Amino acid sequence: MRVRVVHARTMPEAMRMLTEELGPNAVLLSSRRVAGGFQATGGLETDLPEEPLSPALPISAPGGFDLGPTEAELPRRAMRELSAGPGQKDGEAAALGFHGIPEELRTRLLGGPLEAMLSATLRFGRLPELGSRPLLLAGPPGAGKTLTTMKLAARHVLGGGEPPLIVNTDQQRPGAAEQLTGVAELLKAHLAQARNPAAALQAIALRPPGGAVLIDTSGMDPFDADQARLLLTLIATTRANVALVMPCGLDPAEASELGRAFRALGATHLVPTRLEATRRLGGIISAAAAADLVLSEGGASNLITEGLMALSPDWLAERLRRQTHAPPRASPSSPTSAAKPEEPRQNGLLRFEAVTQNGDPDR
Amino acid sequence: MSDAAAASLLPSGRIIAVASGKGGVGKTWLSITLSQALSRLGLQVLLVDADLGLANVDVQLGLQPERDLHAVLTGKLTLRQAVSRHAEGGFDVLAGRSGSGALAAMSPERVEQVNTLMRDSAAFWDVVILDLGAGLAPPTRRLAASADILLVVATDEPTSLTDAYAVLKLHATDKPGGDARLVVNQATDAAQGSRTAATLQRACATFLGREIPLSGVVRRDERVRDTIRRQTLLLTRHPNSNAAADVEALAAGLRLQTAFSMLSQSKREVV
Repeated sequence: MRVRVVHARTMPEAMRMLTEELGPNAVLLSSRRVAGGFQATGGLETDLPEEPLSPALPISAPGGFDLGPTEAELPRRAMRELSAGPGQKDGEAAALGFHGIPEELRTRLLGGPLEAMLSATLRFGRLPELGSRPLLLAGPPGAGKTLTTMKLAARHVLGGGEPPLIVNTDQQRPGAAEQLTGVAELLKAHLAQARNPAAALQAIALRPPGGAVLIDTSGMDPFDADQARLLLTLIATTRANVALVMPCGLDPAEASELGRAFRALGATHLVPTRLEATRRLGGIISAAAAADLVLSEGGASNLITEGLMALSPDWLAERLRRQTHAPPRASPSSPTSAAKPEEPRQNGLLRFEAVTQNGDPDR
Repeated sequence: MSDAAAASLLPSGRIIAVASGKGGVGKTWLSITLSQALSRLGLQVLLVDADLGLANVDVQLGLQPERDLHAVLTGKLTLRQAVSRHAEGGFDVLAGRSGSGALAAMSPERVEQVNTLMRDSAAFWDVVILDLGAGLAPPTRRLAASADILLVVATDEPTSLTDAYAVLKLHATDKPGGDARLVVNQATDAAQGSRTAATLQRACATFLGREIPLSGVVRRDERVRDTIRRQTLLLTRHPNSNAAADVEALAAGLRLQTAFSMLSQSKREVV
């Protein structure tokens, strides 16, 4: 736009001057009386419309997602390439059938030593470290997300970490807030109630830099578009790592579809729960395999202090063969049986570490 | 879901870019004083020196920041680590890097990174003030378009009018329907400031078909020059000056009530 300010004794004279200066298309933008006459400001638009800015190419966020789990070590037993005898394989085939593992997956797992095949077929690893990103626990209703949240918070504090921020987005289940409140007070953890993703983000913003954040969510149906959209929004807004909390004992086909659905929403890790009360593990194994989720740690107790147990191919193979959640009985004729993997029991967080050690009976 | 979609869930009216087109109209001073005025309204304010080529917010504030926007963009620091607190003003400052060609010649992708940073800052601040550089370079245009509100500062000088008009015209192209508002600075008096605004508004209505509301008129005040020379703040040093009153009125009059009420709502939901 060109602008010209003129002064004249009369307005017609001022207009004439503007027309002479800017041409017949000049527009009077303003005028006023001044000493000795009038001041007029005219304008003329001459430029063509501006070209829009070129779109920016998407760039990856600094740091990006760091979801790679720590690879589980190959069990020593598997490394020895033990060849199982036909009797043992028959027993394992029966065991996998008992657990309801789908035929295709079962065939694959029976293709070699069970520990090795589990290690080769599934991904094992720990949950992402708290601190760099929030850890969001998602899953179907009643899976044990709140209990898992509390266990992780307790583990973090008892492990010497600063009390984490716990964000509760479960505003539907009666008692969810109360459950978390008591634990948060005990741990001196900060608890925020967030009704929507923006509120969750606000809460996270208040945490100390680098502070651990756990996000507990309400049980949801990933096949429901509105619920899925809400979870997606929460994940995108908080930029959280996502672990799917799923109870053992689900139908393998149902569990596989649930796993894939949550994977599509952003879940990368699987935390099976009710390990202490479920005999069949076909559901979680199917879900982990179908959705390529990292089998990380599992819940095997309703007690917060008992924490989560690390899952390993060795432990899982033994548990599949055992076909029960009941701990193996110590046999008087087998003095080494105490070294076998067993379910975690009453020793809390110390037990968590002990189970990790016990996961490999050869150690 | 994209980050942009996620960001759309956040309150709008939070990022305010201050632009002018022409240099020397008091844009940086206004950004600083507006930051202080908004903080006095109880808001957490972050002032970002987004004058990518000739950053000088730190100079006007008498700061000697060791951390700046460049460190954030190069991944050396997080946004929060790079921010300095201006205790007297009650707001936070993210310094630019004066004379940095690297910032001035930022690629569109890098500017988008800045935009993302500003969106992320919603977690820490109620309002972010972007002090944009003079001129119409693409990085400045992008930042202006990314803001929720664009405040265009103009004086009654014809060159200021044409440059402010150019900014508004580009903004109409870059962000059709965007929220752009006028601030007339260095006005002889309120009436003269209103006339200046009316001139620009008429041009925008005639040539762009766009109504640009006037957010405020800041009267010329010698005490402004005094505070700039002393590297201090007008609202602190001359709280009863005309210019101080005008900027406080501008801050109060900015139609951010909706955004603030949404923020307050969100915060109430947080125990």
